[in-house]
Amino acid sequence: MAPKKKEEPKPAPAPKPPEPEPPKEPEFNPAEVKLEFTAEQIEDFKDAFQLFDRTPTNEMKITYAQCGDLIRALGQNPTNAEVMHVLGKPKAEEMQVKMLDFEQFLPIHQHICKAKDRGTFEDFVEGLRVFDKEGNGTVMGAELRHVLATLGEKMKEDEVEQLMAGQEDANGCINYEAFVKHIMAG
Amino acid sequence: RGCSRSTRVLFHEYSIKAAILIQRWYRRYVAHLEMRRRYTWNIFQSIEYAGEQDQLQLSSFFSFMLDNFTHMNGNGPGNKYLISHLLDSVVDPLTEEVRQLKYEQIVVPESYCGPRLSFPLSVTDTNALLSAFKEEQTLHGKYVLQLLYETKKFLKQMPNIIYLSTSYAKEITICGDLHGRLDDLLLIFYKNGLPSAENPYIFNGDFVDRGKKSTEIIIILFAFLLLYPDHMHLNRGNHEDHIMNLRYGFTREVMQKYKTHGREMLQLLQDVFSLLPLATVIDNKVLIVHGGISDKIDLDFLSTVERHKMLLKYVLFHMVIICLIQVVDILWSDPKNQSGCSPNSFRGGGCYFGPDVTQALLQKHGLCLLIRSHECKQEGYELCHNGQVITIFSASNYYEEGSNRGAYVKLGPELVPRFFQYQVSRSTRKLTLHQRVCVAEGSALRALKEKLYAHRSDLMAAFQQYDIDNTGRISTSEWAQVVESVLRLDLPWRTLRPRLARLGADGNVEYESCFEDISPGEPIPPVTPNLAETLYRYRTDLEIIFNIIDKDHSGQISIEEFRQTWKLFSSHLGVAVNDQTIDDMARSIDFNKDGSIDFNEFLEAFRVVHKLVIKEQQQG
Repeated sequence: MAPKKKEEPKPAPAPKPPEPEPPKEPEFNPAEVKLEFTAEQIEDFKDAFQLFDRTPTNEMKITYAQCGDLIRALGQNPTNAEVMHVLGKPKAEEMQVKMLDFEQFLPIHQHICKAKDRGTFEDFVEGLRVFDKEGNGTVMGAELRHVLATLGEKMKEDEVEQLMAGQEDANGCINYEAFVKHIMAG
Repeated sequence: RGCSRSTRVLFHEYSIKAAILIQRWYRRYVAHLEMRRRYTWNIFQSIEYAGEQDQLQLSSFFSFMLDNFTHMNGNGPGNKYLISHLLDSVVDPLTEEVRQLKYEQIVVPESYCGPRLSFPLSVTDTNALLSAFKEEQTLHGKYVLQLLYETKKFLKQMPNIIYLSTSYAKEITICGDLHGRLDDLLLIFYKNGLPSAENPYIFNGDFVDRGKKSTEIIIILFAFLLLYPDHMHLNRGNHEDHIMNLRYGFTREVMQKYKTHGREMLQLLQDVFSLLPLATVIDNKVLIVHGGISDKIDLDFLSTVERHKMLLKYVLFHMVIICLIQVVDILWSDPKNQSGCSPNSFRGGGCYFGPDVTQALLQKHGLCLLIRSHECKQEGYELCHNGQVITIFSASNYYEEGSNRGAYVKLGPELVPRFFQYQVSRSTRKLTLHQRVCVAEGSALRALKEKLYAHRSDLMAAFQQYDIDNTGRISTSEWAQVVESVLRLDLPWRTLRPRLARLGADGNVEYESCFEDISPGEPIPPVTPNLAETLYRYRTDLEIIFNIIDKDHSGQISIEEFRQTWKLFSSHLGVAVNDQTIDDMARSIDFNKDGSIDFNEFLEAFRVVHKLVIKEQQQG
């Protein structure tokens, strides 16, 4: 008797081509960072570092959670992703607990300072012009709020409120050049 | 929309890019704002503590005088006035009955439409008071005197330490410093209800000074005290003291609001304040005092002291009585994180007490918690010493609009604290965070600039030591070092530098630029700049001294008293002033040429103005 012809197993659906993996970013190694700050700059950083130090005995340490704030207070504007990268991708629960001292802070700050493409006034204005439907120098406040809260590195509702407070005119429109000047001046 | 799919995808990508860019910039903006908020807070706190250090200066002056009393020119009236004024107890020849009658006989005009109190007080009275004060009315002097008199009678029978218990369902509410902020008290009553048998309260001292409605606050608190003696409790704070009131504004407020009866009120208040209990204990487990504790405190001993004799003036004269030290510790101490107990140099009295001191005291008396006030906290409250110490502070916006929240704490029978925060908002239009930070920062920087101005000669001398070639510039490090050592304020000077001084073309600090914004207000009496600076720096001390000399609070002292006082004070400070200069100065400020000086006018002459603020006002 001829063996029953086994049904050919249906060919497995062709596996989806894998999403192109983002180029794997090398882990941040603070030892590899060459410090190029001047002595004056380092004194300035130390001054500000002490302001953020909330240890009860002034041990010159800050939490991981404060690191981003300090870098930004000193004039840089990294994304949250960039900050987490230089901190070695800590877990969420570590942020309030793990500390770093001033020596550990310096290479982190140096790395951020060296990064290119910080964004100028024009970049910022261009970024907002994307939402300028009528090309008249204004954007709809409501649309901007929606974007900031849902896209990119999302902001919380009260953060959006703080940002936009007093910026919209009677029609709910924002003159974005003035808006950018306001943000950059603060 | 008529876009192709690829256009929409592109738009979406651009949107994300734009969003990330904006978010990055926003986060930088917020971090910068946070930094400004932090240093603003640091500035306010350092200046406040430094001001209390100045109190030390005053105390050393008094002891200087005491030491030199016997050597001084017997004809000199100045020192005699001061010492006798200070040490004389306010002897009132009236007996209690006569005094009570006198107050009853004060006539209140028909035209007065404020509350008319009747004793013993009822809820109608307290409600009337609250409504009246909300409407910015003033209680007639007669009723204030009667209220103070009844309060004094009541407090006389209270012990030094009050023992309370939480019955089955009752929660006790504990409030901290109010410092004359009526809005905060009204907000607390609004949120938490008025004091009553079901709603007991403890107010932990510092009801007066600094704020502008201290009189209204004590009227309300004393009224509720008389109305609900078992459910309303007041602890004494370090500001419930005559000397503090002279310096920090309560005396002035009373004299301004009550021109006829103010003096008598102040006398009564001295007694009332000194009779306030020192501590409260709940369920034999929770100790509540205004300042803190020390390693010398013993509650059993404290129960026995004669608290009405514990006055700051005796501290100022270094009249050391053992029990006085313990009372000062209760009213002035602050907790610290390190172990041990050290003298509180900032305040000039009391201790810094560590967690081991807390632990020891709580254990000694079988307690589990210490609640205290005395220090402003950003969130209105703070825990320390492993949760064994709670600081509760109830004056929101203490330094400036937006500087901090106020809070109160509630304790039920399980003695688990629940905290409630609030913040008074002065403007009807709600300020954004950015606006609040700007306002507070402006105020802090102005206060800091005044400090710089007050120490101009010392600062310039130190700057010039670094500036050997006389270029007018020194490095940022040198500038920061000088300022920190002269002003003795631990602040982030390098971060603050851009707001205080200009850089030259070579990147160094043009040190004279930090005095540019300030100039004297009124044309000052003809004195040398050095003398003017000294007078400006010690304005507050002089104000206190003059107020002591001016026993009847008329605002005037004689030229002779002025001369003697100024001579004494300046010799103590080591400022060389010759007799002729003092005479000239005294005569020039005798505006009415009647041999007496209105010292408030004199002190006004040494105020300063901030030129930038004037410019803004002119442009605005």
